[in-house]
Amino acid sequence: MKELEKTKRISIAAVLFILVVIIALLAYEKPKHLYKINTEVALNKLLTKDYFVNFTDINNPEYVLIDIRNRYEYEKGHIENAINIHTPDLLNNTNSKVFKELIKDKKIAVLYGSDPAEANMPFMLLYQLGYSNIKILLVNNSYAQNKLITKSSIIGNSVADVTAYIKESQKNAAIKPKPKKKVPKKIVPVKKKKKMPVEGGC
Amino acid sequence: MINRKLAKVLSFRYKILALVFIVLAGGLVLLPKYEKHEGIKPEKLLGNAMSSERYISSDELAHKIINQDPSFLLIDVRDEESYSKYSLPNSVNIPLEKLLEEDSESYLNQDGFDVILFSNDNFYSDQAWLLCNRLEYKNLRVLEGGINTWFTTVIKPVEPTENQPASDFELYSFRKAASMYFGVAYPDQTKADPPPKKKAPKKIVPVKKKKKLPVEGGC
Repeated sequence: MKELEKTKRISIAAVLFILVVIIALLAYEKPKHLYKINTEVALNKLLTKDYFVNFTDINNPEYVLIDIRNRYEYEKGHIENAINIHTPDLLNNTNSKVFKELIKDKKIAVLYGSDPAEANMPFMLLYQLGYSNIKILLVNNSYAQNKLITKSSIIGNSVADVTAYIKESQKNAAIKPKPKKKVPKKIVPVKKKKKMPVEGGC
Repeated sequence: MINRKLAKVLSFRYKILALVFIVLAGGLVLLPKYEKHEGIKPEKLLGNAMSSERYISSDELAHKIINQDPSFLLIDVRDEESYSKYSLPNSVNIPLEKLLEEDSESYLNQDGFDVILFSNDNFYSDQAWLLCNRLEYKNLRVLEGGINTWFTTVIKPVEPTENQPASDFELYSFRKAASMYFGVAYPDQTKADPPPKKKAPKKIVPVKKKKKLPVEGGC
């Protein structure tokens, strides 16, 4: 009988343990968004630099334009056929569905904002979440008299050679600092010379 | 009879229990791989990315460098060629492709310094920032506008026109002084400064002495 009581306790404990595990599994809520790729893979993608779309290529039927600016700016003016998904709403259920459907339809989402840097963050985030069909449109958007003006833009280039500019400025200035040295020399001798004649006059 | 059957089953009890636990342990293998999900939650990352808190303006940076603030570290994420051409003083070159290597981590992931990332504009430095932010590196900043804005504001400031507010002139004089600190020489600056000093003593001193001379000579 002692033996039986022992086993009863063990089996009760085991059953309880399994129950706890099952309840925990049921209660576990899957996070809405999970990264599908790690940072190393994401970095390798960034280095390929094949995620840019030039403004001239937007008529490709595979591309679906997505305007990531806010609703107000979108309504003020947007590129033809663009959908508006403002960056803070990027991870909403409805918007996630949009991106998933785009993958299903084998379309490519091309993000644009006022400049490429604005589309950069949403692109990186979506890419790390596993949406591999995301690209950035290289455009700058601005308004002139309430009309949207879209210009293609280049990123990451250097506008000027800073070293050359500094050297040039030093060269230009190199001729002129000389007067500085001459002038103080003049002042000192003038004082001495004038004092001497005074004493001699007396 | 019942007792005997029960005892038979119960003789396997430990084996049965062990089997159950092995099955449960096997379940762990089926769980999603967590190394892929490394880093902070995507929602939080989006929030961080939306905020412009990470940006430091070129004026602020110039101020820090000139005051020899020891609390920051400059990281150039451009390639080595651009780095050797021109970079900010005392910056460390970590090209984007080496960002996640172990050597770089000692620079990027530490508490001692504010790390300021920069590239030509802030596009690639933003990307570096986002990856590092996901990995929960602290104290990361991005130079707003990168070297290009650094050039147009600090190195080659544009002189404000007369109808601009006084604050613009103050800003311009600060930037001009800063640019001189970083090696730019101004021909008009060297000219404009010394003359007032030189001219004033010249005129005053000789005139007084000349007037005294005739008086004394007359005696």
